[in-house]
Amino acid sequence: MAKRVKIILAGEGGQGVQSVAEIIAEAANEEGREALYIPNFGVEQRGGVSVAYLQIGDEPIGAPKFLIGDIVVALSDRAVRRTKQYAGPETLFVYDSGIENIENELPGNAKKMLGIPAIEVSKKELHPRVFNIVIMGAVLKASDVVAVENVKTAVERKLGYIFEKKPELREMNFRALDRGFELVASQL
Amino acid sequence: MPEKPIQGEKRVFMTGNEVVAWAAVAAEAEIMYGYPITPQNEIMHYWTRMLPKYGLGFLQTEDELSAGFTTAGGVLAGRRAFTATAGPGNTLMQEPLSMAEAMRLPVVVIVQQRGGPSTATVIYSQQEVTMTTLGGNGEGLRVVYSTATHQDLYDYTIKAFNTAWKYRFPTFVLGDGYQAKMREPLTIYEPASWGIAMVPTEPYVGRAGMPGVDREPTLLRNTYNVEEELFEVLEQYIADFDKVASEIAEYDAFDTDDAELVVISHGVVSRACKEAVKELREKGYKVGYFRPITLRPLPVDQLRDVAGKAKKLLVVESANGQLDRLIKEVIYGSTAEMLSLFKPGVGITTEEVVARVKEIKGLARPGKLRVLR
Repeated sequence: MAKRVKIILAGEGGQGVQSVAEIIAEAANEEGREALYIPNFGVEQRGGVSVAYLQIGDEPIGAPKFLIGDIVVALSDRAVRRTKQYAGPETLFVYDSGIENIENELPGNAKKMLGIPAIEVSKKELHPRVFNIVIMGAVLKASDVVAVENVKTAVERKLGYIFEKKPELREMNFRALDRGFELVASQL
Repeated sequence: MPEKPIQGEKRVFMTGNEVVAWAAVAAEAEIMYGYPITPQNEIMHYWTRMLPKYGLGFLQTEDELSAGFTTAGGVLAGRRAFTATAGPGNTLMQEPLSMAEAMRLPVVVIVQQRGGPSTATVIYSQQEVTMTTLGGNGEGLRVVYSTATHQDLYDYTIKAFNTAWKYRFPTFVLGDGYQAKMREPLTIYEPASWGIAMVPTEPYVGRAGMPGVDREPTLLRNTYNVEEELFEVLEQYIADFDKVASEIAEYDAFDTDDAELVVISHGVVSRACKEAVKELREKGYKVGYFRPITLRPLPVDQLRDVAGKAKKLLVVESANGQLDRLIKEVIYGSTAEMLSLFKPGVGITTEEVVARVKEIKGLARPGKLRVLR
């Protein structure tokens, strides 16, 4: 039986980390696995660091939050500072390599550090708005929790009504997913 | 005739607030009264989204005092009525809910606890235990179910309507902001398909026939002229409550028989405790797990039994001893050592419970078994 995987996703409000967590959780649930996703939320409507806690396993999930993540993804300087506390000796810490001035802020105790150029790739090769989908691809490769095909189905379910009108967006989203997957695959 | 909201059963993946709305519809609730407050808002949102389809009612009031009183009004008219609130809204609602206690009105209230005191956080806590179990200027003649999972939220929201209408005490489903906002799988079902019949409702006012001629007159009072009059009524209510308390009380427990230490918790925190106890057991620690599902009335006999066997009890909660006080009252006389992990307004993880147990002195240390050759 596969071990439960604990994932933290953190970014600036609006970067789309909550959508990523929700889609992966739904895809896992569709596969018949146990999944629990909880967003952090405060009184602010916008701004601030947004953190998503996601767990996927084969047994019902226990406590909704946890102290140490197996995979921690931080997408901004503030997100790095906020989430380094979740890194432990078994943690894969993923961050965007384009974030400046965080060299001294990165956790020193993680099992592996993985800087990926997700912001750059989405801006240059795709579209800045699919940045979070690139990240989703990266998380999928790093965690190996859900099959990419099932995530595509989940994306289709969530955004299908938009894809109907603009089929090129479907292609771009799926390409973003694949690119994120590759970015991690090339470094693992 | 509106179509049935759920045919048979199905597995779903949704937030706790959405679960509550579905459960209320499945329980044939007829009207919700409410005033918005985070983190329960989406109960109202989902309820109002579904109501045109199923011919249901909703009234947004000007505050929680009004939401509580209108819910009481809906019940007086014989409707299966409910409301939902949190934090400062729960505080305001204690006044109308005291009246519901005084008049034995089966109102159903969903509480999604947030941080306190006052506005504090919109996120999470277990700090509304004292208020929900014993709030108002009364004697706590109410039933409180503390849920831990989305399946609980669904099951106990349905059950709350039946408990309320069967015993005629205000009934609460005590959730929290984590349960409100998180997503996890559960099975939703049509109650009848699971052998659950909804207890029929009936109006308190406006009943057919001439009062005093065709039927007994209805006497609804929350005001009394003399002390003895009040005392007589309360004596009867308290006797009624005590009589059904053990019938209503529910709990979950395992590994308590040979445990040196039993971890006691409720609600979402019990998920961390359950996992921690299993993990510690695997490592050889003699620990047990106890979770009261009803906080009012508590499973008194079972708690006293556990407190009589274990040397130590560890109470874990996201409040500064609100559950702990309730437990101590019912196990009075037990010599078990009382230990605590209190984190008011903050979530508690499995790791923290494991660490807390490991630091407790006087427990048999496992893992160093000497092999005899």
